[in-house]
Amino acid sequence: MEQLGIEPTLLLAQVVNFAIIVVVLSKLLYTPILGMLEKRKAQIEEGIAGAERIKQEEAKLASRKEKLLLEARKEGHVILEEARKLAKEEEKQIIAQAHTEAEEIIAKGRVEVEALREKLMVEVRRESTGLGVAIAKRLLDKALGSQQQHAILGSHIKNAESLGEKYL
Amino acid sequence: MPHISLAAEKLWIIGGILPITNALLTTWLVMAMLFLFAYRASCRLTLVPSTIQSLAEMIIGGLYDFFHGVIGDHIKLVFPLIASLFLFIIIANWVGLLPGVGTIGFFHGEAVPAGRQEFTPLLRGATADLNTTLALAIVAVGAIQYFGFTSLGASYGGRFFDIRSPIYFFVGLLELISDVSKVVSFAFRLFGNIFAGEVLLAVMAFLMPFIVPLPFLMLELFVGFIQALVFSMLTAVFLNVAVSHGQEGSEGVSHNG
Repeated sequence: MEQLGIEPTLLLAQVVNFAIIVVVLSKLLYTPILGMLEKRKAQIEEGIAGAERIKQEEAKLASRKEKLLLEARKEGHVILEEARKLAKEEEKQIIAQAHTEAEEIIAKGRVEVEALREKLMVEVRRESTGLGVAIAKRLLDKALGSQQQHAILGSHIKNAESLGEKYL
Repeated sequence: MPHISLAAEKLWIIGGILPITNALLTTWLVMAMLFLFAYRASCRLTLVPSTIQSLAEMIIGGLYDFFHGVIGDHIKLVFPLIASLFLFIIIANWVGLLPGVGTIGFFHGEAVPAGRQEFTPLLRGATADLNTTLALAIVAVGAIQYFGFTSLGASYGGRFFDIRSPIYFFVGLLELISDVSKVVSFAFRLFGNIFAGEVLLAVMAFLMPFIVPLPFLMLELFVGFIQALVFSMLTAVFLNVAVSHGQEGSEGVSHNG
């Protein structure tokens, strides 16, 4: 033992030294470093899981978007078709209305024309009567006395009146 | 020829009881290095590691994964012991190879015939001293027994003392002897390898100081790593056997050592 250098005190000292190493290193090195590794592992796993979740959500959203787009397109189609149908009906209605209006206008015009003719006729009759009297007066003034004149004129006027009624 | 001593040289004696040998001094140096590294690595832990933190994570995480493969889930319990064994032994082995360790020292004694003075190096490889390696071996084997008892309870004793049959009794006796011899084999394996390496390097440096010792220096670096690995690995394997022994032994089938 002496030749090998083994001494109980030194042996004990080295045992104590090693015990100190174990205690200090596990407090100062192993626990914090392994804890940090564990923490990082957990964080990475969480990150990967989060990324996976986001990816899935994205896919879901994309499919939903696709569906919505398809639906919107279909709906748009339906709306367009309906609008077209409505427009056609309205067109027909408008045309029909225009027709009736036009007919009304025409009828009204006819009535007005009739009234105007009536009015003109009355005027023409009156003027023609006046004219006939004036012509007859002038002619009779030259050929007849005033008494005869009056008699002839009277008969002529009667004739003229009947004539006017006949022609106008 | 340099003076080669199997025992570590005593430098001083404190209080008449505790001799301070050069190997003990180196042990303290190694401890200081380990503690400084541990402190620097873990004083500011961040999720995004600094250089020294990532180095520590690489070493500790690597050791953890490696020994997890050997010992399984028991590693949580015994990791501080095994990792400390590995780190202390490898640093002690490598510090012993540093220039100055074993060569810087002082002469004392009578100088009458020139060159016959006794030379005492100030530092000596910590694992090139049997006190250190024996202490490590005792701690390792003691820990094996301790973890065996704590994890299996009294049934662990059945490994050494079994009177169900004379054969089991004899096997238990052999187990006891093998566990005691583990201390010796642990201590002398490490001491022998490292001490032999230092002697080899000293002799080489004496014979041809330039270039020739370099390959041997590389070899000794490798040996230092391998011995640290062997020591901690064997401890892990024996620990594994000890903590799982009862699980097989309870069926009374196998008694392996």
